Amino acid sequence: MKMFSFSHKTAFVVDHCPYMAESCRQQVEFDLLTKNRSQGVIPLAPVSKSLWTCAVECSMEYCRILYDIYPTRKLVNYIVSDSEFHVLNSWNQEAQNTQELMSALAAVGPPNPHEDPECCSILHGLVAAVEALCKVTEHQQQARAQLMDTADRVCNRGRIICLTNAKSDTHVRMLEDCVVETILEQNKLAAGSDRLMQIQQCELVLIHTYPLGEDTLVSDRPKKEISPVLTSEVHSVRAGRHLASKLNILVQQHFDLASTTITNIPMKEEQHANTSANYDVELLHHRDAHMEFIKSGDLHPAGSTSRDSGLKETVTLKWCTPRTNSVELHYCTGAYRISPVDVNSRPSSCLTNFLLNGRSVLLEQPRKSGSKVISHMLSSHGGEIFLHVLNSTRSTLEDPPSISEGCGGRVTDYRITDFGELMRENRLTPFPESPAPAGACGKVPLERAKAQLERHTRYWPMIISQTTIFNMQAVVPLANLIVKESLTEDDVLTCQKTVYNLVDMERKNDPLPVSTVGEAEASSTGPCGTSWRRWCAPTSGAASATPACWSA
Amino acid sequence: MVKLQGYLQPVIESDQLGRTAGQNVPIGEKHLILDFLKRRPAPDWFFSCCHWGNTSCLAAMPTVVLMDASLSMTRPVALEGNEEFQRKNLAIHGLTMLFEHMATNYRLEFTALVAFSSLWELMVPFTRDYNTLQEALSNLEDYDKTCLEAALQGVSNVVQQEWGSACPCQVVLVTDGSLGIGRGSLRHSLSTLKHRGDDKKFPLPFPFPAKLYIMCIANAEELQTSDTLENLEQLLTLSAGGGQIFTMEGPLCLKSVQSMFGKLIDQAYTPFHAVLRCGNLSSDVQVFPRPEPVVIDEEVEPSPRTILTEVDEVGAGTAEETEEETSTTQMAGKSPNFCVLLHGSLKVEGMVALVQLGPDWYGMLYSQADSKKKSNLMMSLFEPGPLPLPWLGKMAQLGPTSDAKENPYGEDDTKSPFPLQPKSKRSYAQNVTVWIKPSGLQTDVQKILRNARKLPEKTQTFYKELNRLRKAALAFGFWELLKGVAELLERECTLLPDSAHPDAAFQLSHAAQQLKLASTGDPQYAAFEHSITPMVTDFSGGDRDRM
Repeated sequence: MKMFSFSHKTAFVVDHCPYMAESCRQQVEFDLLTKNRSQGVIPLAPVSKSLWTCAVECSMEYCRILYDIYPTRKLVNYIVSDSEFHVLNSWNQEAQNTQELMSALAAVGPPNPHEDPECCSILHGLVAAVEALCKVTEHQQQARAQLMDTADRVCNRGRIICLTNAKSDTHVRMLEDCVVETILEQNKLAAGSDRLMQIQQCELVLIHTYPLGEDTLVSDRPKKEISPVLTSEVHSVRAGRHLASKLNILVQQHFDLASTTITNIPMKEEQHANTSANYDVELLHHRDAHMEFIKSGDLHPAGSTSRDSGLKETVTLKWCTPRTNSVELHYCTGAYRISPVDVNSRPSSCLTNFLLNGRSVLLEQPRKSGSKVISHMLSSHGGEIFLHVLNSTRSTLEDPPSISEGCGGRVTDYRITDFGELMRENRLTPFPESPAPAGACGKVPLERAKAQLERHTRYWPMIISQTTIFNMQAVVPLANLIVKESLTEDDVLTCQKTVYNLVDMERKNDPLPVSTVGEAEASSTGPCGTSWRRWCAPTSGAASATPACWSA
Repeated sequence: MVKLQGYLQPVIESDQLGRTAGQNVPIGEKHLILDFLKRRPAPDWFFSCCHWGNTSCLAAMPTVVLMDASLSMTRPVALEGNEEFQRKNLAIHGLTMLFEHMATNYRLEFTALVAFSSLWELMVPFTRDYNTLQEALSNLEDYDKTCLEAALQGVSNVVQQEWGSACPCQVVLVTDGSLGIGRGSLRHSLSTLKHRGDDKKFPLPFPFPAKLYIMCIANAEELQTSDTLENLEQLLTLSAGGGQIFTMEGPLCLKSVQSMFGKLIDQAYTPFHAVLRCGNLSSDVQVFPRPEPVVIDEEVEPSPRTILTEVDEVGAGTAEETEEETSTTQMAGKSPNFCVLLHGSLKVEGMVALVQLGPDWYGMLYSQADSKKKSNLMMSLFEPGPLPLPWLGKMAQLGPTSDAKENPYGEDDTKSPFPLQPKSKRSYAQNVTVWIKPSGLQTDVQKILRNARKLPEKTQTFYKELNRLRKAALAFGFWELLKGVAELLERECTLLPDSAHPDAAFQLSHAAQQLKLASTGDPQYAAFEHSITPMVTDFSGGDRDRM
């Protein structure tokens, strides 16, 4: 558990040199003729994406998944490199969303194929990425400010993902050496600065991408230590869908994600509204949502299928059609944000819209034995969908004792309704963080809530037979006012009136609403006067609970 | 999210135990402070965040006693009076003491007994019945040699089968410290650790969080003659969940075994006492299972967060007062207790109470009924941190409703300020454009075409879809697509039937032209924020009035 691990800062460096304008040589048919209109029309020629387009859309997909699952604390700095570097956003939280990046990318546009390739280099971007990693993020700043003396516990690590077209393995080594050197230089600078932090560790992920049908000039290489500060790995990937699945695997590795495929989702067919077919939807989420499967060893044989490169695994969970009338509370041990792999496919959007509309879906874990075990639940809260982990093993809390068997359990005249009223008056509500709300006295909202509870309970008998004044209608106005933080002139008048009223009642010897529970003694003493004196005693307690303004 | 769930049992208030008022700030510090949240209506956060239907679950601290039943346990120890004791008798004596302690203080915990030699056997599955455990212990037979690895694997299986892998457990290993020789001995297991395939992994660390307590029925001096302690220490390191090795002090006798198990009880089985406080109302409570300290971030916050600030000498105090306690328990049933009041009101109002356990550590209290309609006050702890449930916002920012300008719950109690909406929408809630699969692109183009064929009725949707595609194509630097779609629209224009509205042709060629302009990258037409607006025609003006 590290707050500032590699994944706190990711710098994307995308090559914008003329070569990236080359086609990826994978064609996309975009002119699909519908059956009834096809006569005599020749479809338009397919289009093909450039290496740049492939790199941009795959990196944006990486960011989309990242922001869905980690809306805060996992930051991206997007840098484009040609004859110079272009930093498209900052580490600031406001700059962390795909719309912002898309807008900045549109301003950059595709690479200019006519630019002089000699002036252009990915190096500009890599240097900028190292500089960016030295910059303190808001979260690091906050953590340092909080720790004061031990501020050096806040680490500065980061990852550079570089999407480029390299010339050779030697070229790759040159890039790595350059990053090592730049880190050394920048760390020297950072040592003398408050606004910069030295990079303790950096992970370089170099992705060489090339058009389909060409031979790669760069070989894959697993992670290797280049210097004590830098590790580097090289992936050589064809552009297009190959690059997309590589980045999908990387985002999972980098952010501890795992995949769950919801299977058997019944959906109405567009064409035939009466029939429904079953669909699958794949979701990504933090891998802790699979913890139980991983540990029990269930993950491999039962629920997983290997696809694509064999690197990617997904756990299959079966949709259980929700019963509309049940409002069960489930014992849930974790909730993890999700991101659909195929976000705008029809099955995905049907599922996500269903959940965003407030429905929940229980998910069943297929077991070898055929027994039915509900292990997860999908549900949304405030526009975010979470995969909830439900506990499916035996409970150590089974057969709990009843509260009535314990201390105070045999008392029957608790002021349950009155306390319910107090609870409702002390309900919580969220307050915006800044600026400090009015009436705060510099206290955070939760402290104000506690202070209010303290005032409300200064005199609060728990059982009916312990109190007389709270059983008297005549005292209600005073009891309601006395807990206020300050009293107005009118409030004071009302309180006085209540007290005079009570004095008047005593004078007239009005009967007291004495509860009969265990209080035979009170009635046996005869004259009401005695019981008045006796029962008014607690009011002195109430008086001591009076706020300061009362006496003023 | 939820770390742990447990009962809150009111305990006899300290003044009833005869303490004077001055001393009565007792036992566990760090008070639980309450605040209230609305639990109803069901659609908001509470419904799904938390807990418990009849599908039951997790998280107390079951114990597995792993008892060495090898022949060496029958070695006699020095005579005490006329009776000759074996090490086994001492072990049973110690465990009896542990079981008695648990029966009194931890009657809700589950304990299992596993005996092992070269084989292992689950003598008693997890139970709350300490008599059964005691009985099994006294009928324990003697077997051959000590093979710890297989036995630990057995413990791992037994626990996982019963509780899964999320439930923290305590494992109490009772052995005489002779850990076997040759194959199957602990020394052999440890020396081959690094040469194992995935199928023959050493069972430690356990897949579930576990504390390992090793009770040696031997004193430190005799263990020092071999490498036993080193091996056991290595075992403890491997276990990684904490724990301790206990050895006996002085001569092996009933007294020294009692003192050793006494230390274990102090270390691992002291009840967790705390004070539940709500303003000026409070109740001493005992929490089952005891909440364990949590390390939040080993770098930034290396020391674990605990609820208890210090463990006082409570254990000793209560032991002396046992007799008095029984009589006061009956009395205590009749004197009012805040827990019961709180439970009753939470149940009636359908609310949960927020409870603070320390700085940035929160949980909630609620009434929980089982199938037999026995209900109790339950506490669920959230993951420590300022924002355990994102849809509630920061816990410290929750304040009294009376401070709000208008009642967020509505005058008639029909609204709720929860759940909070995040600042930015997630991708699946904002109609993002992804063209990684050709089908994504094709669908988007088809949407435009479908609307194009229904112009001018669908003018607004047509342009909405067109602009969506335009934005994405510009961001991805996919100018070729803009040209392609422009051509497509031009072709549609030529294919318009005679019956088509004249506006359709105007809009199609206008849209096509705008896309072409954008595809040149000319900043005037290719700005991301710019949108293509419908061409204003005599026809379209009238159309828009109708819409």
